[in-house]
Amino acid sequence: MSELIKMKNVTKVYPLGETEVPALRGIDINIKKGEFISIIGPSGSGKSTLMHIIGCLDVATSGSYFLQGKDVNKMNENQLADIRKEFIGFIFQDFYLLPDVPAWYNVSLPMIYDRIPPHERKEKAISILESVGLGDRLNHLPNQLSGGERQRVAIARSLANEPEIIIADEPTGNLDSVRGEEILGILSDLHKNGKTIIIVSHEKYVAEKGKRKIYLKDGRVEAKG
Amino acid sequence: MFSGFLIEILRSAIESIKANKLRALLTTLGIVIGVMTVIGVMSVISGFRKYIATSFSQLGANVIYVSKHPWFANVSRKEWLEILKRKDIGIKEFQALKEYGTSFKYISPLDRINLEIGRGEKEASDVVVHGVYEDFSKILNQDVNLGRFLSKDDVKYKRHVCVLGQDVVESLFSEESPIGKKVKIQGRQFQVIGILEERGEMMGNSMDNVVMIPYTTMAEFTGRNKTINVVVYAEEKEKSREEIRWILRGVRDLKPGEEDDFSLNSSEALISQFNQMTSTFLMISIAIAAISLVVGGIGIMNIMLVSVSERTREIGVRKAIGAKSSEILGQFLMESVVICLFGGLLGIILGASITKLISIMSNGNVPFHIPVWSIVLGFGFCFTIGVFFGFYPARKASKLSPVEALRYE
Repeated sequence: MSELIKMKNVTKVYPLGETEVPALRGIDINIKKGEFISIIGPSGSGKSTLMHIIGCLDVATSGSYFLQGKDVNKMNENQLADIRKEFIGFIFQDFYLLPDVPAWYNVSLPMIYDRIPPHERKEKAISILESVGLGDRLNHLPNQLSGGERQRVAIARSLANEPEIIIADEPTGNLDSVRGEEILGILSDLHKNGKTIIIVSHEKYVAEKGKRKIYLKDGRVEAKG
Repeated sequence: MFSGFLIEILRSAIESIKANKLRALLTTLGIVIGVMTVIGVMSVISGFRKYIATSFSQLGANVIYVSKHPWFANVSRKEWLEILKRKDIGIKEFQALKEYGTSFKYISPLDRINLEIGRGEKEASDVVVHGVYEDFSKILNQDVNLGRFLSKDDVKYKRHVCVLGQDVVESLFSEESPIGKKVKIQGRQFQVIGILEERGEMMGNSMDNVVMIPYTTMAEFTGRNKTINVVVYAEEKEKSREEIRWILRGVRDLKPGEEDDFSLNSSEALISQFNQMTSTFLMISIAIAAISLVVGGIGIMNIMLVSVSERTREIGVRKAIGAKSSEILGQFLMESVVICLFGGLLGIILGASITKLISIMSNGNVPFHIPVWSIVLGFGFCFTIGVFFGFYPARKASKLSPVEALRYE
C-alpha cells in the first residue's frame, strides 16, 4: 500500500501571551492508504493539535508533512481548503450539524462547495443517509434526532465528497456505550470498504478498534503498536 | 456552476434570516424608513409635477402672455409693491404690437370678468367672460364644436354675439341646440354663434365655464380698455419675446437703462418655477433619506457582527468541510445584501401605499405615479448599503481560523 501521510519532525507551538506553549514536539508518523489508526492520549497530549494538522485545518510550525506526495506546508489557505474538501472528512465529538436545516441538507453541505448541482446533491445525500440507516430521518432537524442519529448524520456528511481519509475526533464522546459501538461499527465498515480511518480518542475501548495505535504524551509519540 | 453556488448562498441567507425574523425586521427598519421616504417623496413630487405640467399646458406651449406683472416672482414685498405700481397694459399696447409685430402669427387682447349668464329661468354663475379678438381660438388652439368662433367683423362692429364653453351650455340648455339662441350677459342679449371644444381642468378649476365675446363689445359695458393682457401665439418664442419687448418699451416710453415695466409670461416659465420649488423639497427629503439609510446601514453592520459571532462554530464547520474564505465572505455578504433588499422592498411597498393614500386624499388631483427610476434607485441604494456595511463583518467571518472557529463555545 502506498504512503498516504508522511510526517517528519512536526512541531506546533502556540503563542500564549509572551511565552510560547509547545503542543507538538517533533512527531514522525507514516500512514498508508486504507489503514485504521487510533491516536490515543490524555488531554493535553497534543492529539487534537495533531488531528488538526493531519486534517489540514492547521499548519505545523516546523517539520514536513506530505499528503499523497503533496507538501502541505507549502500550501496557501485556498489550497488547504481544497484538500479538506476533496481528501478529508471530519467527524466531531459534538457532531457540529447546522441546527436550522434538515439532515439531508447537512449531508449535502460539502457538495455545495464542490459545485455539485442541487438535485444531484440531494439524491446523493439521501443515498448516503440511507446507507447509515437514516432513510426515515431525511427531513428531521438535528434537534429532532437522538445523539447517535446525529453522529450518523455527521458521518454521512463526512462521506459526501468521497474523501480518502475520515478523521473522527472523539466520535463516541457524547454517546452511551451502545450508540458508541454502533458508530464504531459504521467506521469499521467504512474501513473494510477501503477508507483510511483515523480515530482520535482518550478512551481505551475506542482506541482498541484501531488496527494500529499511536500513543501521544506531552507532544511526543510515546509508543506505536 | 458558479451561479449555482450563488443560488445556494442566497438560499442559505434566506434560511438564516427566516430563523431570526423579528431581528431582521428590526434591523432593517432604518433602511425601510429611508427607502419609504425616497419613494414616497419622489412619487408625490413626480405626480405633482405631472399634474402641474398638464394643468399649465392648458395655457398653450407657444403662447406668450403680456401682462403688467409676472405670474410668479421670487421677490421681496417691497419689490412686489413696485411691480404693482406699474402702468397698466392697455389697448394701446395691443394695437402697437398688432401693427409692428412681425415675428408672431396671432395676437389678441384678453380681458376677463366673472359674471352670471342668464337664459329665462336658468342661470350659469361665476362664468369667466373673455373679451377677445378673432385670433384667440387659434392662439389657444381651441376650436368650436358647433357653429363658428368670433369673426373679424364681430369685433369690428361690436356685435352682441358669444361662443359658449361646455359647462355653460350644460347649465343653460337641456336638449335643444344653443346656436342662434339668446343669452343674457350684464343685462344685454347676446346671440350664441358657437360652442367651444371641451378643455378640462387647470389647478382644479374647470376651463369650460367660459363665454367668449368680442373684446370691443366687452369694452363697451366694462368701460375699461386699460387693464388687459395681450396674448400672442409665437412659434419662435425667443425671437418674439425680444420683438415684443422692444415694441412695448417704445410704446411705454422707457428710457435706455430703465427696467421693463411689463412681464412676458408663459406656461413653461411657470412649470420650471414649480419644478424649482419642488426640487428644494426633493433635496431635503433625499438628505433625510440618506441619513436614515446610513443609520440603517450601521444597524446592518451591527447585526451582521452579532450573526458572525453567533455562527462562529458554523463557520468553522463550513471551513472544515472545504469552504474557502471567499465563499464564507460571499455567504455573509449575501446575507447582508438580502436583508437590505428586503428592507428596500418593504420601504417601496410602504412608500407606494403612502403615495396612493395621498392620491386618494387629493381626490386624484395628485396622480398615483411611482417613477420606475425611484424604485431602481431605492434598490440600488439598498444593495450598496448591504455590500458596504456587510463587508466588514463578512470579512471578519472569512478570516476566522478553522481551528479557532471550531473551538468557539
